[in-house]
Amino acid sequence: MSGSNHISRRDFIKVTTGAIGGFIAGVLGIPSIAYMISPALREDKAGKPMPIGKLEDIPIGTPHPFSFTITKVNGWERTAASYGGFILRKSEDPNDILVLSSRCTHLSCRVNWNETAGAFLCPCHDAKFSKEGEVLDGPPPEPLGHFTHEVDAEGYITIIPVEQKAG
Amino acid sequence: MTDETKKKINAKYERELLHGERFWPDSLFKDAIVALGIFIFLVLLATFVGVHDSPKADPSDTSYVPRPEWYFLFLFKFLALYGQIPVFGKIEWVATVLIPGIAIGLLTLLPFIDKSPQRYYAKRAMPIAIMTIMVLGMVLLTMTADVPTVAADGSGLLGNLQTVAGLIVPSLAYIAFVGMAYTLKENAVRAIAWTTALAAALMIGFTAATLALYQPAAVAVIEIPTTLADQIVAGQDLYSVHCVECHGDDGKVEEITGVEGLEGKKISIISSKDVLYTVNDASMAEIIAYGRPDSGMNPFGKAYNPEGLTRSEIDYVVTFMRYTWDDRFEAPYIAPLYPPLAEGEVPSYSVHIEPIVKRYCISCHRPGKDNNNYLMTSYEELLTTGDNASHNLISNDPTSYLLQVIQQIPITDPASGEELIGVMPPNKALKPEIVEVFVRWVQAGMPK
Amino acid sequence: MRSTLWQKLFSWLDERLGLNDAYKNLLDRPEPKGNWWNTLGSASLFLFILQAVTGIFLTVYYTPSPDHAYDSIQYIMTEVQFGWLVRGIHHWSASLMVIVVFIHMLRVFFTASYKYPRELTWLIGIGLLLLTVGMGFTGYLLPWHQMAYWATTVGTQIAGSVPFAGEFILKSLRGGPDLSALTLQRFFAAHIWILPALLVALIGVHLYLIIRHGESHFPDKED
Repeated sequence: MSGSNHISRRDFIKVTTGAIGGFIAGVLGIPSIAYMISPALREDKAGKPMPIGKLEDIPIGTPHPFSFTITKVNGWERTAASYGGFILRKSEDPNDILVLSSRCTHLSCRVNWNETAGAFLCPCHDAKFSKEGEVLDGPPPEPLGHFTHEVDAEGYITIIPVEQKAG
Repeated sequence: MTDETKKKINAKYERELLHGERFWPDSLFKDAIVALGIFIFLVLLATFVGVHDSPKADPSDTSYVPRPEWYFLFLFKFLALYGQIPVFGKIEWVATVLIPGIAIGLLTLLPFIDKSPQRYYAKRAMPIAIMTIMVLGMVLLTMTADVPTVAADGSGLLGNLQTVAGLIVPSLAYIAFVGMAYTLKENAVRAIAWTTALAAALMIGFTAATLALYQPAAVAVIEIPTTLADQIVAGQDLYSVHCVECHGDDGKVEEITGVEGLEGKKISIISSKDVLYTVNDASMAEIIAYGRPDSGMNPFGKAYNPEGLTRSEIDYVVTFMRYTWDDRFEAPYIAPLYPPLAEGEVPSYSVHIEPIVKRYCISCHRPGKDNNNYLMTSYEELLTTGDNASHNLISNDPTSYLLQVIQQIPITDPASGEELIGVMPPNKALKPEIVEVFVRWVQAGMPK
Repeated sequence: MRSTLWQKLFSWLDERLGLNDAYKNLLDRPEPKGNWWNTLGSASLFLFILQAVTGIFLTVYYTPSPDHAYDSIQYIMTEVQFGWLVRGIHHWSASLMVIVVFIHMLRVFFTASYKYPRELTWLIGIGLLLLTVGMGFTGYLLPWHQMAYWATTVGTQIAGSVPFAGEFILKSLRGGPDLSALTLQRFFAAHIWILPALLVALIGVHLYLIIRHGESHFPDKED
C-alpha cells in the first residue's frame, strides 16, 4: 500500500469522516462567531442634537455644569442614560464656547470643577485638567473630550451627543 | 440465567466479532454520514421553514386553545378519548398518571421482565407484537389529534371511530396476545403475527375513516411582525382601529368629539413630551390594557374585553407611539401607506383606498359605532352601506358626500338647513395628497 | 529513526496521557457487522452535542423573564447575525432528537439488544429518553409565547392530577399555584443546568457500557 498512488478504501473513509466533522464544525462555528460579536459590529448612531441650555444663563469665565439624557435601544431594552459636561464661555462672543465632556480620559470617571483649585479634578486617580480641558497633572493621556455645538438665533445651545476627541 | 447460557452468549458474540468491522473508521464513517445528513436537514429547515412563533404569552387571554408540543399530542388525544369512557373516564389520574406510569415502568424494567435469552425475532412474537401495536397507536393518535372527540353538532361518530381505533382495538389485541401465549404456547407465533396484522389494519382503517370524515376548520394563520418596522406598522394599524376615534391619528386631541359617551371629555395629548418622556413602555402598556376610567380612558386589554388587544398587540401600539412621536427615538425606514400616485395614474381600492380607509376611517366606520350606519371595512360596504348610501359615492361626481366632507365641507339638509354630516375625520383634516387620491378615485368611477 | 519535533511532542504527551492506549481501547475496537440502524445512537449523541452548542449560544442573548423572554428571542431572530440559524437549528433539532432517541429505543427493542449483558445500558437508555422528553417539555416554555404558556399550563396541570400529592407536585413544578416568573426561571434552570447535567452523566455511563460490552450484533436464528 505504501508507495502506491492510490489511497486505500480505509484511508479514504478516514479522510472523509474527518472532512465531514470539519465541515459541520465550520458551518456551525463560523456563523457562531458572527453571532457572538454581532452587537459589536453595530454602528453607533450619531444621535439627535440635544438642547443643553440658554446662552444668557451661563456665566462667562467659569465652567458651568449641564446634563442631558439620551435614550438608547440596546437589544430588546430601551434605556435612558444621563450624561454630563461643562459649558465654558470664554468671552461675550456667543461663538466663543467650549462644551467639555466630564468623562476623564484616563478611565472614564467623572471629573468635577473645583473652584479653589481652579481646575477639573478627577476623584479616582487624582487627575487634574485645566479650565479648557488640558491635562495639568496625573495619569490622563489626553485632554478632556468635547461636544460639537451650535448656538441658534434665540441663544439656545444644542450639542451633538457624541464625544469628540480634543484637538 | 445460568452461567452456561451466559458463556454461550459471550462465545457467540466473540464469533460475530471475527467477521465484523472496526469502530474506527468503519462505524464512525457511517455515523459521520448520518450526522452530516441530519445537519444539512436541520440547516435547511432553519433556513427555509424557520420557527413559527405565536404571539407573546398573555395570561389574560383565555380564548387561546392550548396545544402541546407535537410529541405529546398522542398523550393529549389519549386523555380526550379516555375522558369519553363512562364512569371510569371521570377518574382522571388513571389516564394521566397510572397508565403512562405503568407503560414507562414496564419499558424500564423490560430486561428484568423479559428474561429469556432468546433474541431472534420469531422467538419473541409477543413483545414485538405488543410494541408494534403500542407504537402504531401512538402514531395514529398523533395523526388524529386535531379531530374533535365530540363534534360541535353533538354527533359522536368521529369520537366513536377514534375510540375504536385508539382504545378498543389495541385493548382487544393485547387481551388476545396474552390469551394466545397461554393457550397456544409454542405455536402462538403465527397466531400472534396474524392478530397483530389484523389489529393494525383495523386501527389504520378506522383512523383513515376518521380523517376522511373530518373536515378541518380553516385555521387562521397569525402573521407575527418580527422586524421593528413591521411592529411599528402593526401598531399603527391597531392604533388606527382602536385609538384614532378618541385620540386622533396624531394623538393630539385634547377634547373628544363625536364619540358616544365620551363627548366633550378633556384628555391628555398622548403624543406630547409630557406623556412620552414620563411614562415608560411598561406603564403605557398597562394604561392601554387596564384603562384610566376616571380620565375617560377605556381598558383595551383582553382581561376586560374578549375582543380587545393581546399583550403583543399592546406592545406594538406602544412601539408605534414611541417611534412616531418620541423625538428621542429614530424610526427605521417604513414603507409608505400607499404607493405614491404618478401623474394621471388612477388609484384603485385595493392598492390605495383600502390602506387609507384602514388608517383614518375604520376606527369609527365599523360595526357597533356611531357612524350613520356607514361601514367602511370592505369595498362593497364602502359603496353600499350607510344612511346616505345613494349620495356617499357617485361615480365621477365631485358632490359625492364623501368627497365633500373630507374636503371640510359639511353636508346640510337642503330642506331644514340642519347639518347632516359633519366634516371628516371629525378631529383633523386629511392631508391634501390623500384627499387627492379620493378625488381621482371617484373621478375614475371607484375602481376596485 | 529521525524523530521530528511533532513526534517528540506526541511521545511526551503519550507517556502522560496514554494516547495510544486510548486509541486502541476507544477507537480501534472490533465490532460485529453493523448496518445503518446502528447509527441511531451516535445520531442521538450528535444531536445532543448540537443542542448543547446552539443552546449555549442562545443563552448569550436569551433572558428568562416574562418581561423580556419573548423580546429577547425576537431580537435573536431579527437583529443578531445568524440568530435565526442558531435558534432554527436548536428548535428543529429538539424535535428531531425526540424522534431519533425514540427510534433508537425501538431498534434496541426489536433486536432484543437489551438482554444480557446489556440490561443496564437499556435502563440508562430509558433514563436518557425520559430526560430528552423532559428537555423538550422545559424548553418549550422558554420562548414565553401563547402556545408555550398555555401548553405548559395544561402540561403541569396533568402532573397535578396525581392523587393526594398532585397539588404539591403542581406547585413544585410551577414554583407556585400559577404559571409565573418563577415557573419560567425554574424551567430555565432545569433546561440549561439540571437536566443537561443528568444527561451528560448518564450519556457517560451509557457510552462506557457500550465500550465495555461492545455493540450488540443483529440476532440470527441461533440467538
